[in-house]
Amino acid sequence: MRVWAIGVSNIKRMLRERSNIFFVFIFPIAIILLIGAQFGGDFDPVVGLHSADDGIIAASIVAEMESLDDIETRNFGSEEELLGAVEGGAVQAGISLPEGMDGAAAAGELVEIGYVARTDGTGPQLQAVVGSAVAVVMKPVGAAQFATAETDAPFDRTLEIARGIDEGAAAIAVEVSAVGESQFPEDLGRFDLGAPSQLVLFTFLTALAGSAALILTRQLGISQRMLSTPTSLGTIVVGESFGRFGTAMVQGLYIIVLTLIIFGVDWGDPVGAILLLVLFAAVGAGAGVLMGSVFSNDQQAGGVGVVLSIGLGALGGCMLPLELFSPTMQRVAHITPHAWALDGYAELVRRDGTTLDILPELGVLFAYAVILFALAAWRLRIAITRP
Amino acid sequence: MGAATRIATKDLKLRIRDRSAIIIGIIAPLTLAFIFDLVFGGAFTQQLDLEFGLVDLDGTEISQGLGDVLEEVEAEGVLVLETFDTAELAEEAVEEGVIDASILLGEGFGQSVMTNSDAGIAVIGSVDAPTSTQIAASIAQQYATGIEAAQLAVATAAAASNSQVTPEFFASLTTDPSTAAFSYTITDITTATRQLDATTYFSAGMAVFFLFFTVQFGVLGLLEEEREGTLARLQAAPISRASIVLGKALLAFLLGIISMGVLVVATQLLIGATWGAPLGVALLVVAGVLSAVGIMGLVAAVAKSPEGAGNLGAIIAVILGMLGGVFFQLGSGDDFLSRLTFITPHAWFMEGLANLADGAPWTAALPAVGAIMIFAVVTGAISWVLLRRRFIR
Repeated sequence: MRVWAIGVSNIKRMLRERSNIFFVFIFPIAIILLIGAQFGGDFDPVVGLHSADDGIIAASIVAEMESLDDIETRNFGSEEELLGAVEGGAVQAGISLPEGMDGAAAAGELVEIGYVARTDGTGPQLQAVVGSAVAVVMKPVGAAQFATAETDAPFDRTLEIARGIDEGAAAIAVEVSAVGESQFPEDLGRFDLGAPSQLVLFTFLTALAGSAALILTRQLGISQRMLSTPTSLGTIVVGESFGRFGTAMVQGLYIIVLTLIIFGVDWGDPVGAILLLVLFAAVGAGAGVLMGSVFSNDQQAGGVGVVLSIGLGALGGCMLPLELFSPTMQRVAHITPHAWALDGYAELVRRDGTTLDILPELGVLFAYAVILFALAAWRLRIAITRP
Repeated sequence: MGAATRIATKDLKLRIRDRSAIIIGIIAPLTLAFIFDLVFGGAFTQQLDLEFGLVDLDGTEISQGLGDVLEEVEAEGVLVLETFDTAELAEEAVEEGVIDASILLGEGFGQSVMTNSDAGIAVIGSVDAPTSTQIAASIAQQYATGIEAAQLAVATAAAASNSQVTPEFFASLTTDPSTAAFSYTITDITTATRQLDATTYFSAGMAVFFLFFTVQFGVLGLLEEEREGTLARLQAAPISRASIVLGKALLAFLLGIISMGVLVVATQLLIGATWGAPLGVALLVVAGVLSAVGIMGLVAAVAKSPEGAGNLGAIIAVILGMLGGVFFQLGSGDDFLSRLTFITPHAWFMEGLANLADGAPWTAALPAVGAIMIFAVVTGAISWVLLRRRFIR
């Protein structure tokens, strides 16, 4: 009962602090929204197009580029704007079509096409895509130039013939097929990837931020006063831990319920989702109590807490899906409890797993929680009873 | 002014002894920049390590042309090529993620081309590598188009001279029909990069994000003195009241400059950030710190207690940082989000640094410095008026 009282008073303290309303309730949802808006689309590379020519070749190249499936295009009014966009990274590559392309082709000259790409990212590789689109468009042009040179027939006529033959000619079809099981299924909602990440990031952050409250409790002598009542040291330690755990759970449940209702995030098996949250909140609470016992300055603990929770969150895959990490970094990531929790949620959310499927993740989180609580209880006993 | 300097230097010593300013101002941004660089460094540039497979079951001169093309591209360092003996082996490699995509030329490919009948090239790609698959398909397509162009050239020339495509007609041609594929050139328009590399991006982002928290230690001192009653004692001292406010502002400025200065040097030495022309960086840092002092001054002026100011300041710093794109760039191209980001000094600070990238002269940062100074002057002036009303009169 006393454990309950200490815990609940801690949760009340958290809720009454107005700025916590922002950090615990508004901020995580805002981030989920922002990231959903940002990455809800796909990662298709963007090629910028600028055409200074209103002829048929230029129009065909633009149309061909726009018809490509996994490439997005954006039109620019001037070559300068296009270059600026490539320099600034807004587009990965650009095609600049100069004036007089049709004329050059008719005169049997080389048609010049400007290409600009970033030297990093997908820039160099996009050249193959652009080259292929241009090649398709220029095929009848090259054939007509060849025929005109061979037969002295006018270019207009040979181009017409070439286009006519090209229509019905035997073709070499390039057939593309995809194999393998996608890590990110097509039907994955735009918030389904972000919601578990933010849940894990913020419950841990809130639990660690609770260390400042624990330090204040000790500084103001509340812990000592509790000891002078018929409350055992063990009860205080468990109660304080329960308080940290409760605040993390309040936030975690809030994020799960709200994203379920507002963004329609499919959390999968509810038992598994809640179990993961309970164990992860316990890990966070253990870490929070440990920090609250080791530090004696709440401002220092606050700073270290922010660094730890953001740092571990980034390392654990809360800001970039673990699947996109290099193999080495994936192993490093699994030092953090975050990575295990996220693996569990990935199984539930993306692969429709059940509680049984996430037993290994639950087990690892349980072990983290036990170790952290053991350390925290030991340190907190010392911190409270130290004269 | 003498009193203001004395107050500032006294507080500066206090803040340095209490390690929280060092944790927030130096250790936190440095640690996070390091971790972010480690985690996101690779994904940030979205560099594709293309690994393609090639299966040539045809083995004719025509089919070997594709291998030649791919080897040429490989020599440019754009992709890595691996040849497989059977389609099954290649498909397995794609499925296991060993290669991104595989190109297959079936038996009889060369024969089909020679006899002008339909032929096919199969590209198998991993579902998780759509861009890489598209690139493999493009290379295959370009090769196929080259063959088609030569065929089309011959057919067109024959049609234009009303003859049939016969061996005699072939012999009468004066140029090689495969030249028809080269009716154009793609010329590279070189361009500079006005974008920060991952390391510098995260170093600068974290530095300017935590700057707003560091500066708080200075400005909020005013509220602490008020609550602890030392403000009244200061006011009783033979110094002007304005110098008390000025002293705290000066302290905030010094803390900001020290934090940023240490971070600029430390990130260059420890994690290899490249901040650009020193004078340009210095101007950006000074303007950035001034805007932080102005904005946090505003917070101090409206808050009732030091805790309230600390919380409000944290909320504002986090919102401005998020919007300013210190964690990840907001929006793409010129959509709404990427314009919205410029309502923060953070975004201008990053923009100014991006303009200094690639060895640009210090003057490239000036537009951004100007924009940040507008934030500094406007918020600074309003803070001064409000703080004057509260602490001076």
